Amino acid sequence: MKFKAGAKSELTFVGSLFALGVLVFWDTWRSELPEINLTISPKLFPYIVSILLMALSTILFIQILRGDLATPEGLEPGDKIEKSDMRTFLVVLASLFAYLLLVERAGFVIANSVTFVGISYSFGNKNLVKASGVAVLLSTIIYFCFTKFLHVPLPSGIFKGLM
Amino acid sequence: MSSAHSLLDGFASALTLSNLMFGLLGTFLGTLVGVLPGIGPALAIALLLPITYTVSPSSALIMFAAIYYGAMYGGSTTSILLNTPGESGSVITALEGNKMARNGRAGAALATAAIGSFVAGTIATLILAFTAPTIADWAIQVGSAEYVALMLVAFSTVSSLLGSSQIRGFLSLAVGLVLGLVGADLQSGLSRLTFGNDAALEGIETVTVIVSIFALGEALYIASRFKETGWKIIPMKGRALMTRDDWKRSWKPWLRGTAIGFPLGIIPAGGSEVPTFLSYSVEKSLSKNKGEFGKGAIEGVAGPEAANNANAAGALVPLLALGLPTSATAAVILVAFQTYQIQPGPLLFTTNPDLIWTLIASLFIGNTLLLILNLPLVRFWVQLLKIPRTYLFAGIVSFAMLGAYALNTSTFDLSVAIAIGIVGFLFRRYGVPITPLILGLILGPNLELQFRRALQISAGDYGTLIASPLSKALYLTLFLVIVAPNAIKLVNKLKAKSKK
Repeated sequence: MKFKAGAKSELTFVGSLFALGVLVFWDTWRSELPEINLTISPKLFPYIVSILLMALSTILFIQILRGDLATPEGLEPGDKIEKSDMRTFLVVLASLFAYLLLVERAGFVIANSVTFVGISYSFGNKNLVKASGVAVLLSTIIYFCFTKFLHVPLPSGIFKGLM
Repeated sequence: MSSAHSLLDGFASALTLSNLMFGLLGTFLGTLVGVLPGIGPALAIALLLPITYTVSPSSALIMFAAIYYGAMYGGSTTSILLNTPGESGSVITALEGNKMARNGRAGAALATAAIGSFVAGTIATLILAFTAPTIADWAIQVGSAEYVALMLVAFSTVSSLLGSSQIRGFLSLAVGLVLGLVGADLQSGLSRLTFGNDAALEGIETVTVIVSIFALGEALYIASRFKETGWKIIPMKGRALMTRDDWKRSWKPWLRGTAIGFPLGIIPAGGSEVPTFLSYSVEKSLSKNKGEFGKGAIEGVAGPEAANNANAAGALVPLLALGLPTSATAAVILVAFQTYQIQPGPLLFTTNPDLIWTLIASLFIGNTLLLILNLPLVRFWVQLLKIPRTYLFAGIVSFAMLGAYALNTSTFDLSVAIAIGIVGFLFRRYGVPITPLILGLILGPNLELQFRRALQISAGDYGTLIASPLSKALYLTLFLVIVAPNAIKLVNKLKAKSKK
């Protein structure tokens, strides 16, 4: 079978939504009800939602097979759809994961600076020294604003005792 | 107490120094996020939600309302000078406004947009002040079963009117409903979709989802697809002023835009695209200078801009009177209310009258501040567009991560944020609208609650759902809006086929 360009990846996306529906259905089915008498089971609503999700993704799946492909945001119908730049995508994603991994281990200032520089780089900034300077300055200001003025505690990490 | 009297009291408390400062800050931030493409008012308010911990409810809500209105003023500036609409309501403005700027009439376009927004915002807020309490009075009698019907109507209209494809809108809604399911069921304690994770038992934080689907999703999307696209600002000559002729051509479109925008905001018509577009086509067909349309007709800026503002005010009616948000921004404001343990809805006018009237009064004040701030400062806002995009997005993303983390100081929320960011990327790439997801997430648990409550009262009799005349009318509307057009389409298709 011959697909239009981009149809395969969109089918995968819609297929994963169907899988999400299956997951919700399975999770609801296997869970054990507590021994209380309820007029309406707490399982009813999840069942409805999962069936809705599976049904809708099936319909969209068929529509895509018939050639009704999505128009990405910011484009007009009929515009040429270019492939995403996967390398940049991964740099952004890595910057996000860096935050997750670093924030409690190395502290807020380091995590925030690493993410800032990473995102700045992925948007095409070549001057990483300048970006790092901006990042550290900004992160330090935010850190003190949050901990001192807004009284929202942020992890000091390796600077514990210093800050 | 009459609305007029309550409103005066509202003015009295909104005009205290600290509330005024929060209003001013809100108009400033709102214009800022409106001007910068890529951040909308929904994201801006969501990012600022952590301040609800330290600030009083009325100050925070005044600021959020000012951001809400301010973003629309800022959005029109970007549309006109940059041809990059800062938010969805300004898409139509870009059509004529940018052409005007190219013809050297940027000042007039900016002026008619700002003054039109002010006129429409003021009239619409006035109507809001007098209709919302009436609707709330009536809505107190609305029972659980009718609420179920109301929510289903809101879901369906928002899902089917946004974006180009109905089915994608409903899919987005369904994913939002799934996210709303996560956590322990309040009535039975049954844990749903937690997969043994204790942090997930409390459910997924709405704020985290909103922040990450907008900020992280947008960053992933723009970085991997539109990195090269830069901004080209059209330089503005002279001051933002209108000639006598401009005034003559603008005032009727302003009023017509208001008349179109406000009612469409009250009914959940899915945001500002429909009313602004409608206003544009009305102005085009009524105009004596039809030839100018497409080349920079001032009516094409004045009408849609007024419609956009009136629409935003209209959307506050169902939010305040019924607790039903009909746009992404209204949904975030609902969450802001909830963080203060205040539930918007019919009871709000009786339980928190001071808060609500202060909020409405501050909408008037914010609108006036915006007019004063915007026109003289327009050059300053344009300067802001010169912040390099690399730093802009780096700032947005790191602030979004901070927002997700600071909420509960938990890394679980950060993992959720990254996952939702990827969902946001996929939705943008595959043309799935995002607002239905947010509505589903926020209103889904509420829908389930009202549904179960209705059936508990009726002891399991499903007939109760369609028992009252209001429910019947709402389901009929649902049928007419969703099922009928599709059925007609299908019949026409079949006819066309049989002719062949």
